[in-house]
Amino acid sequence: MRYFKLPAGVRDILPDECERLDAAEETLREKFKRAGFRSVRTAGLEYYDTFANIKSSVEQSKMFKMTDKDGNLIVLRPDMTLACARIAATKLGESGAKLCYFSNIYDFSAGGNSDREVAQAGVEIFGEEGALADARAVAFAIDCLKAVGLREFIVDIGHVGFYKGLLEESGLSEEAAEEIRGYINAKDAVNCEIALKRYGANEKAQTAILALSSLFGGAEVLDEAEKLTDNALALSSLAHLKKVYAHLKELGADKYVSFDLGTVKSLAYYSGMVFTGLAEGVGAPVLSGGRYDGLCAQFGKDLSAVGFAVGIMRVLRALEAEEAKKC
Amino acid sequence: MLNVALAKGRLADSCADIFIKCGIRAQILKEETRKLVLETPDKAFRFFFVKPADVPTYVEYGIADIGIVGKDTLLEAGADLYEMLDLKFEKCKLCLAGFPEKREALASPHLRVATKYVHTAKKLFFSRGEDAEIIKLNGSIELAPLTGLADVIFDIVQSGGTLRANGLVVLEEVFDISARLVANKVSLKTKAAEILPLIAKMKEYI
Repeated sequence: MRYFKLPAGVRDILPDECERLDAAEETLREKFKRAGFRSVRTAGLEYYDTFANIKSSVEQSKMFKMTDKDGNLIVLRPDMTLACARIAATKLGESGAKLCYFSNIYDFSAGGNSDREVAQAGVEIFGEEGALADARAVAFAIDCLKAVGLREFIVDIGHVGFYKGLLEESGLSEEAAEEIRGYINAKDAVNCEIALKRYGANEKAQTAILALSSLFGGAEVLDEAEKLTDNALALSSLAHLKKVYAHLKELGADKYVSFDLGTVKSLAYYSGMVFTGLAEGVGAPVLSGGRYDGLCAQFGKDLSAVGFAVGIMRVLRALEAEEAKKC
Repeated sequence: MLNVALAKGRLADSCADIFIKCGIRAQILKEETRKLVLETPDKAFRFFFVKPADVPTYVEYGIADIGIVGKDTLLEAGADLYEMLDLKFEKCKLCLAGFPEKREALASPHLRVATKYVHTAKKLFFSRGEDAEIIKLNGSIELAPLTGLADVIFDIVQSGGTLRANGLVVLEEVFDISARLVANKVSLKTKAAEILPLIAKMKEYI
């Protein structure tokens, strides 16, 4: 048999595995449909300028770039949330929409140990704001993970506003804030402290930012966090998460939930609550999402928005791990 | 069961001591063996022995829930994981070293630097806005300035004995290095009940 190589970071999915992939997608498709989501297929190629002009978490180095016939730079779809936000803001003409998608996104910088072609199933809810909408999004995410058969997982919730609030108080420059964000994300308290001292953040903010790396666990971390700051934005973020948690309790989803105020995703497009789905046996999140009010406004129409995407291949890996554990 | 990745060698011995102090039945780590996987008798812990540079990999992929590894290895690997604890043993420094007269050359426009830590060195000089030629070596780094392969070296210095024996000196101490406890980003949450008490206990014995 002859052998043809594939580029790094992509692979074929053969019938056995594809069957399981299709089954998971089918389950989610049904789930999304019943919850009132309408499916979209966004263009696979887009102009580079669309992403360059939007404040987004898609870095230039992550996009597959090509030159179009007329010399314009085009990219292979790097992110579904941006594509859906663009559609909701420019093409639907309504004040709200519930969109879902099953698509691959492409990440140029990956490869080697991570995938450059990522199969995602996701939902985006436009025009609904407030704690109840956030709680519903999280509860629906939990529902979806249950529907595809996962048993042992948690959804870890954070809020970008808390960190933003602490930053306001600290007097740190944007550059310093970005460096420190990296340390917080790695829960690296040692370097975080060194950097805070070097950049001369004010005392109270220093203590609070340092505490971020240990502010994770049950809902009690929200109370702990409250004692650390009197910044208005930080406190309102905590109050919001408490409301979300209360709603999640009503929805019966609270036992799958934990909190981590030290998950500081790129601040570029998330504006409020953020969450990740974590399953045993897979070393990376199986689901990721959050609130991104303000993104649609950059496309010309101010719509509040919340959504999440499921990484289907990772879900399949988690299912395998659960099965292996049972045997 | 908690899966722990440990670096083979000296570091594993220090790790065994601290684990035993924490009440983990890790005596097995002290035994002479060629096995790569060891379990505690109560099946609460499983230890993997890997090369130091592979500890971040095992933890990032979630095969190991936690691991213990030097900060130098972490800097070089750039893996996406949580750095939970500074264990404060295996202390040393990542330094720029060379002949004493090379001190001025540190700011030269095109410095040749020999090192095992290629990524870390690149990041260091990039952050300083300096161009440097990074030359990858796998051992006996001190030989590079002696033979004219490089102007300076970027390497860990513990006692400085090898440097002195070869007429070299530390030109600049760049990073403080010590052993760190790292955790997989998912495991920390899904196995919090096992990992967090362990970390709390280890803190007491540092």
